Amino acid sequence: MPKDLIGSVMVVGGGIAGMQSALDLADSGYYVYLVEKGPSIGGAMSQLDKTFPTNDCAM
Amino acid sequence: MGLAKRKSAYVEYAQAVPLKYAIDPDSCIYLKKGKCGACKKFCEADAIDFDQKEEKHTLQVGSVILAPGFKPFDPSRFDNYQYANLPNVVTSMEFERILSASGPTMGHVSRRSKDKAEPKKIAWFQCVGSRDLNKCDNFYCSSVCCMYAIKEAVIAKEHIGEDLDCSVFYMDMRTHGKEFERFYENAKTKHGINFIRSRVHTVNPVPETDDLEIRYVTENGEIVSEIYNMIVLSVGLETSPEIVSLAQKLDVDLTEGNFCKTSSFDPVLTSKEGIYVCGAFQGPKDIPQAVVDASAAAAAAGEKLAAARNSLTKTPEKLVEKNIFGERPRIGVFVCKCGINIAGVVDVPGVAEYAASLPYVDFATDNLYSCSQDTQEVISQIIKEKNLNRVVVAACTPKTHEPLFQETLINAGLNKYLFEMCNIRNQNSWVHKNNPDLATEKAKDLVRMAVSKVALMEPLKEAELEVNQTALIVGGGVAGMAAAQSLSAQGYETHIVEQNSQLGGQALSLFKTAKGEDIQERLSTLNSEINSDDKITVHLNTKLTEVEGFVGNFKTKLSSNGDDQVLEHGVAILATGAAALEPKEYHYGKDSRIITSLELDKKLIEGDPTLKSLNSAVFIQCVGSREPDRQYCSRVCCTHSIDNALELKKRNPEMSVYILYRDIRTYGEREILYRKAREAGVIFIRYTLENKPEVLIDGNNITVKITDHVLGRPIEIGADLLSLASAVIPNKDEALAQFFKVPLNDDGFFVEKHAKLGPSEFATDGVFLCGLAHYPKPIDESIAQGKAAASRAITLLSRQIIFTSGTVAATTQADCSSCGVCISICPYNAPSFLEEGPFAGKAQINSVLCKGCGLCVASCRSGAIRLKGFDNDQIFSQIFSMNEAV
Amino acid sequence: MSEWEPKIVSFLCNWCSYGAADLAGVSRMEYPSNIRVIRIPCTGRMSPKFALAALREGADGVWVSG
Repeated sequence: MPKDLIGSVMVVGGGIAGMQSALDLADSGYYVYLVEKGPSIGGAMSQLDKTFPTNDCAM
Repeated sequence: MGLAKRKSAYVEYAQAVPLKYAIDPDSCIYLKKGKCGACKKFCEADAIDFDQKEEKHTLQVGSVILAPGFKPFDPSRFDNYQYANLPNVVTSMEFERILSASGPTMGHVSRRSKDKAEPKKIAWFQCVGSRDLNKCDNFYCSSVCCMYAIKEAVIAKEHIGEDLDCSVFYMDMRTHGKEFERFYENAKTKHGINFIRSRVHTVNPVPETDDLEIRYVTENGEIVSEIYNMIVLSVGLETSPEIVSLAQKLDVDLTEGNFCKTSSFDPVLTSKEGIYVCGAFQGPKDIPQAVVDASAAAAAAGEKLAAARNSLTKTPEKLVEKNIFGERPRIGVFVCKCGINIAGVVDVPGVAEYAASLPYVDFATDNLYSCSQDTQEVISQIIKEKNLNRVVVAACTPKTHEPLFQETLINAGLNKYLFEMCNIRNQNSWVHKNNPDLATEKAKDLVRMAVSKVALMEPLKEAELEVNQTALIVGGGVAGMAAAQSLSAQGYETHIVEQNSQLGGQALSLFKTAKGEDIQERLSTLNSEINSDDKITVHLNTKLTEVEGFVGNFKTKLSSNGDDQVLEHGVAILATGAAALEPKEYHYGKDSRIITSLELDKKLIEGDPTLKSLNSAVFIQCVGSREPDRQYCSRVCCTHSIDNALELKKRNPEMSVYILYRDIRTYGEREILYRKAREAGVIFIRYTLENKPEVLIDGNNITVKITDHVLGRPIEIGADLLSLASAVIPNKDEALAQFFKVPLNDDGFFVEKHAKLGPSEFATDGVFLCGLAHYPKPIDESIAQGKAAASRAITLLSRQIIFTSGTVAATTQADCSSCGVCISICPYNAPSFLEEGPFAGKAQINSVLCKGCGLCVASCRSGAIRLKGFDNDQIFSQIFSMNEAV
Repeated sequence: MSEWEPKIVSFLCNWCSYGAADLAGVSRMEYPSNIRVIRIPCTGRMSPKFALAALREGADGVWVSG
């Protein structure tokens, strides 16, 4: 392993995209720092009532 | 959002993760004035620390992924809609909260004005803060607003009733995603939502009513005035100024619309090496596209760090499991107070005392917070000291906390299935807070039921399965190639199977991307990279003829000109692509000047000199798409035709170029091409499905007849070239779908695991998908999904060993009557007949494929199947120990 | 109305209704306490025998939801 290679990733933003990236990376063997400015993750999706086109609950 | 008041100590919303309170420093009396501190006094967990200050942490990381999201456009600056002054003009985001059951009105749709009346007539205004250079600088289309407006209108009607009058005012309806067109059609025909093509110019209050009068011009030039009870502004997505400055700090380039700049071939790479992007900061997009990007960005980051994989992660030590065979149950019961969440209502010590009196209970106690780290250690210690062999935790809900307590059991050397959780918070103290006595009684009953069940629990084994470290990709188009490169870069042996004689798929016939990049040039680079990659094996002219096995262990027979070969692989990615429809209308095939978009691309690639000498070119959109028998939008054609129209104009600026369309769907920043085309003099004429253009061939002349939507009169256009934007047709490979047990939809596209959250994988474990086989999409999105499929596959491959769940079904073959009901009823193909041995012909269940739903158990007429962990005797014991309760 | 309250046994699917019952708690809704929930992995696991057993044990109503 090259000495300067660091096996961790910082993900900026805890919305749906940030969470998915973080999960994929953690499940693939990388240490992840998920940085979110608010007190909880979920982002804009958690403010939605339902999602199109299936009208599934966004939660 | 300011729709309702909230306290200074708050949880963002009921399902927030983590579900913890935060203090709003802008409104906390203690933080602002140094007085109060009531929360600190009352908090039993002593979790309030007013001295917490902003701290700076420095992190050393290998890569950075930017997913900062978007900010909804603020329409206050539009004085014509009077959002800032009129309470019943709301944004779509606010309306979303009004619809939500956990929102400020508990899902009851009511106006924001003082009357709080239920609206009877609601209007949605599209493109507020999008596609607008007059009032704001957002030239781009925000991609999601058409769909969310339709959704909000449909849901509002569900809440209020069929009589609610909903109208959507729009410029073009952009329902270009998977299953979106059907949703739009249903909104029109089944839900009776009105769609009015117009941009409303003014909103005025109707005096003394809080109603709103709007004025707009209809398509035939008539000025109409109407009164609505409520107006929803479909606000667009934009990048917030903080994110713009963050990008500047990081030296990451932005586009004209302030989104992160990427290339079509590296859709998640920013201009700065090592920094990747996903989500709405990459461009305005919907959830599935953001999820695709997110996985793609993870793959891209992983490709660069593959050598350091697992260097910073920790694997917990594995403890030896205690053998409890033949021991009588010795049950430990832990009753949680959850601070005052449970103890404020239920007499927790009383419940613990009662638990101690139950059969086989050797130990019972209460905890302040059972889930806290220190209590976990205490529980683990008690299990060891008291030699307990079954555990019940009466606390919150197993949905969130069962894995945590199972971990505690493992740490104490117990099999994790010797556990039962009992829900005395979410389903007891929180819902019966005014009846503490009844809640305490209920808690005792629930504990008794759990104790009787856990006594019958047995240690369950999770089957261990080695994951073959090779990946198979079916289809060698750009999506498959992108997936292969990502897998190879992360160290996995990859095989691409392509039925044609070369890699590239549909991209082989494409000229340029929407961003103007040369596709053929890139394709040849990709080709040579893949051919020289020693981890990628390409099988050309090859088909799959047989697939056996399941996640981690597939065996696939490949057949190439009579040569058969068996490939063992752990995962499969289906990237079988799609093709262009051969049009059956507009005299296609009868005249060499009537061609498809791809045929025009071919002429452009070859630099056909005759293109320069054309006087007039006509493009017809939606040829075969958005028709009753093909109810989907092919997504790429609007951008493609506009791109080609611009290219023709470039080659001969004098040429008259017409685009005949139904809705222009240049979503996202592709909108810039639409603007450029209009500036370049391309003429856009709209038609409807009922009034399609007519093509006449008369001797040497091709004439296109169409009714002009502005003039309302029929016009005739002479065409030297007629380009038909033919639909994208999936290959509908039913055999392949059968091989991997994955579903196809009515249109012939594969059905993904979840429309929003699992766009690049199937419900079948170990099988993934990308590219056109999922849905029509441009090259950049195909590449992103190729990488996303690779990323999802790698989360499986990198585990090397997977464990199946212990709660699976198993057959007692001696009791099996070989009726086959379990085989036909199982959605996961887990049961099958044994082929040999003393029980040949009897059913067996593959515990790897079983998801533990219990369908087969309930359907087995011979009682030969049991579901471990939810066995008949276990459920009956819960029912029987209820007798005191009922 | 009389004071009689039916005793209800419910079999809830782990993936949907059981989660919904949790959510009712998170949202601090209130409902009568004379209900006992048995969590099952899926309503596919439900057997008529469970319903009959519950009724025999004295339940006035059985509710299966999933």
